[in-house]
Parts: sequence; C-alpha cells; structure tokens
Amino acid sequence: MLPEPAGTPAIPERPAGQRKVAAATLATFVALFVVSAWQTGFSVGDLATGTGDFFRFFGRMVPNWGYLPRVWGPILETLQIAYLGTLFGTALALPLLFLASANTTTDRVTLAVSRSVLTVLRSIPDLLYAALLAPILAIGPLPGVVALTLFSLAVLAKLGSETVEAADPGPMEAVRATGAGRNRVIVYAVVPQVAATMTSYVLYVFEINVRASVIIGLVGAGGIGQDLLARLNFFAYGDVSTIIVVIFVLVLAIDALSVWARSKLI
Amino acid sequence: MPDAATASQVPTPPPRVRRANAARAGLVVTILLLAVVTTIALDLPSAERVLRGLRNNAVPLLRGFVQPRWEIAPLAFSSMAETFFMAVIGTTIGAILAFPLSFLAAGNLLGGTRFAIPGKTVLVAIRTFPEILLAIIFVAATGPGPTAGIMAMGIHSIGFLGKIFADVIEGIDPGPNEAIRAAGGGALQVFVWSVIPQVLPEFASNVLYRFEINLRAATVLGLVGAGGIGLPLIQRLQFRRWEEVSMLLLVIIAFVIVVDALSGRIRRRLV
Repeated sequence: MLPEPAGTPAIPERPAGQRKVAAATLATFVALFVVSAWQTGFSVGDLATGTGDFFRFFGRMVPNWGYLPRVWGPILETLQIAYLGTLFGTALALPLLFLASANTTTDRVTLAVSRSVLTVLRSIPDLLYAALLAPILAIGPLPGVVALTLFSLAVLAKLGSETVEAADPGPMEAVRATGAGRNRVIVYAVVPQVAATMTSYVLYVFEINVRASVIIGLVGAGGIGQDLLARLNFFAYGDVSTIIVVIFVLVLAIDALSVWARSKLI
Repeated sequence: MPDAATASQVPTPPPRVRRANAARAGLVVTILLLAVVTTIALDLPSAERVLRGLRNNAVPLLRGFVQPRWEIAPLAFSSMAETFFMAVIGTTIGAILAFPLSFLAAGNLLGGTRFAIPGKTVLVAIRTFPEILLAIIFVAATGPGPTAGIMAMGIHSIGFLGKIFADVIEGIDPGPNEAIRAAGGGALQVFVWSVIPQVLPEFASNVLYRFEINLRAATVLGLVGAGGIGLPLIQRLQFRRWEEVSMLLLVIIAFVIVVDALSGRIRRRLV
C-alpha cells in the first residue's frame, strides 16, 4: 500500500459498536447456514447437478396439445374454487377485522381473542388446510373452497385490521359526537375510509387464491391439480406440460387483470 | 312521516353520485349472482357424506388438540427442525441469486425503464410458477428428499425477492449517487458507496420476510416428497391417525408463530 499523501483526509472508520453488531450478525448467519446444510445433507454441488437435471427433465416435456380440450373443465372448477373461497373468506373477514382493530374494539379480551385466532389461522398454509380437509369433507372441490375460505379470512382480516387502525380518527369522533353507537361509527366513519384499500386487498387475495387453487388438487381438494397429479403418476409428461402451460397463462392473465383493476382503485 | 317538517332532511345526492351508487349496486348483484351460479355448478358431496366425514375425522382431530400424542413429539420436532433448515438454505439461495438479477430489473440504474424489461420478464416468469409444482418436478428429476424442496424454494424465492429488490433499488435517493459522481467517483464507487448502503437494510428486511413465507411453504413441500414435516404429516393423514396429525399441527403452528414474532422484531429494527 502506498502511503497516503499528506492533506488527503482518510475515510473515517465505522464506530466499533456498529462493526461488532455487523460481524456478529454475519457470524450467526454463516453458522446457521452451515448447520442447515449439514443437517439437510445439502451441498453446493447439488445446486449445479439439480439445475442440470431440472433442465434435462424439462427438455423432455413437449406439450401434447391433443390433451388441451380436457383441460378446460378442471380449469373452470379451479376458478370456481378460487372465486368462492375469496368471496366466503371476505364475508367472514369483514366482521372479524373490526373485532381485531384496537380503534373499533375497546374490549381488551375480545381484541386479544380475535387477534390470537387470526394468528393461529394464518400460521397454517393454504395447501395444508386442503390436505387436512380433503379426508374430512370428501375428495373434491368442497375441501378446496373451505381451505381457501379459511386462508383468505385470516389474511384479509389481518390486512384489514391494519388498514382500519391506520384510519383517520377525526370522522370517527365526529360521528360519535352525534350520539352514534359503535356499529354506526364503523359504517359511517370507518368503512368509507377503508373501502378502496380493502377492495384492492380482496383482489390481491383472489390472485393468491388462483395460484393456490391450481395446486390444492394435488392433495385431493379439487381443480386442475387433481388431473395434473394423475397424468404425472401415469408418466404422461406431454399432458403434464400442457396443463402447466395452461396454468402459467391463466395465472399471468388473472394477475394482469387484477393489477389493472387495483391500479384503478387507488 | 309526521316529523318531516321539523327534523332536518338528509339532502338527496347529486346525479353523479346516484349513478355511481347504482353501478356499485349492480356490481354487487353480479358478484352475488355469479357466486350462486358457481356454487350450483360445483360438484359438491351430499350433506350426509359431509356429516359422516366430520364425525369420523374432525372429532378425533379436535380431540388430538386437547390430548396430543406426546410419543411422536420427538419426530415432530426433528422433522420441523429439518423444515426450518430447508427454509434457511432455500431463502439464502434465493437471496444470493436474486441480488444480481434485481439490478438488471431496476430501470433507474440501467438508464431507462425499457432496459429493465427483459429482467422484469424473467422475474415474472419465475414468480408465476407455483413452488409446489417446481418441487414435484425436482422430485421427479433428482429424487425425493430435502434437496428437491430446497431447490424449489430457492428458485421461487428468486422471483419474489428479485422483484422486491428491484422496487427498492428504483426507490433510492439519487442525491448520493450524484454527489459521488461529482467527487470524481465512477460507476463502481457509486454502486459501493451509495447504492449498496441505501438498499441493504430493506434487502435484509425483505429476505427475513421471505424466510417467514418459506418456512410455511416448507411445511407443505413434504406432501409431494420434497422433505420436511409434510412427509410424516401426509403419511398420518393417509392412515387417518388424527391424534398424531394434531401433534404435528401443534408443532407447526407453534414454530411458525415464534419465528414470525422473532423475525418481525428484527425487521422493525432494520428499517
């Protein structure tokens, strides 16, 4: 290293505390990663071979377009499941989200109970709900609808209660000053403030539900996933890739539509 | 009405508002009609079958929540630990690979939004592909086990993190970039001393957020044989051993809630 010419100020060092925190974070993370790789038997070499295998496998998957007419029925069922799951989830989330917001529910116990219920509901992924409900409610679209309803309810109530808590308290006080009770305050002061954002969230959850509804059939909860699994078990890779292409186009189209509608809302 | 003369009247809304209200009512009616048609067209089981299913399966499942089978607790914890480790590696792979890609999808650094289109398209394509489908393909291509799940999670995370990273980069303050350029710094100096310090806390926060999502996703990857707690779970579901299913579910719920809470705390301190 050349000596710095006199007069050029050196770049100041970061404070020792900050450096220690950064070093400790990095060390913790590296240790966690090493333990994880050791425990799961994962090596960086797997990454390379896995990617190679993946593309070789994909290369064999030439879509069999003759299968296409048999895709539409299950695809329609998939959309029905996503639509009903979103709708029922929204209907159930609407009362619950006000119970889980601190500014519309003052009773501590109600607030704590509704929030805990939502936290537990949210900790289970949609596919797991479907896997649990398929043996209970008979294989078919019904467990799919119920699974997506539970999942949408949990997500919407959480996002909704955050929106309600961020609402301007002014209109609420004004309505309360006229002698209105809690329900009137919600209807006339809170709902107009949060309606647009909530509609946008519902569309967002619909997007998630379309993605979920194409795969819940893998565990017997209806929709195109059931056909996908059946074709896969027969090693009919041509049919499988036809289904995958249709799923891909469907998800892209619904996403684009929903993003456009949401951009109009807010 | 008798008190119409004394009580103040709510004024009738102007025509524009009335038209908007009518349109909104029309939309609601359409949505509800569509729901009725959709429900009727759906292939639903008989009420009797549903009731029988609830009695035979839901009752033992709920009983299992009250009296969990502690015999399988060691299995539940060890497979949940594997799930956790899978999520750690999957998220790390996703974050490392998303990092360079995100700069190719950020319009402001490439000198124009149109130069970011190829990068953004790649990210959308990756995101559209459901994770569990990737897992199925990896299981078919490389065999069952946690590696298949890690690969699926890693690839899917690239799509998600790449998009969020690109959004963060597009939102940075151009001031420090200009300051460094004015001091004679080149593109590399701008990148190291202005872009990276601005985006790093947001990146870290989003990686943690993705980790929360991946932990949930990793619990179901085992359903298709890609490692983690999903495998013992689906086996017990197939044999209808509901009390053991409840034990596994309790471990999943507890683990996810604790990790969410911890990760949320760290994220709040980061940004």
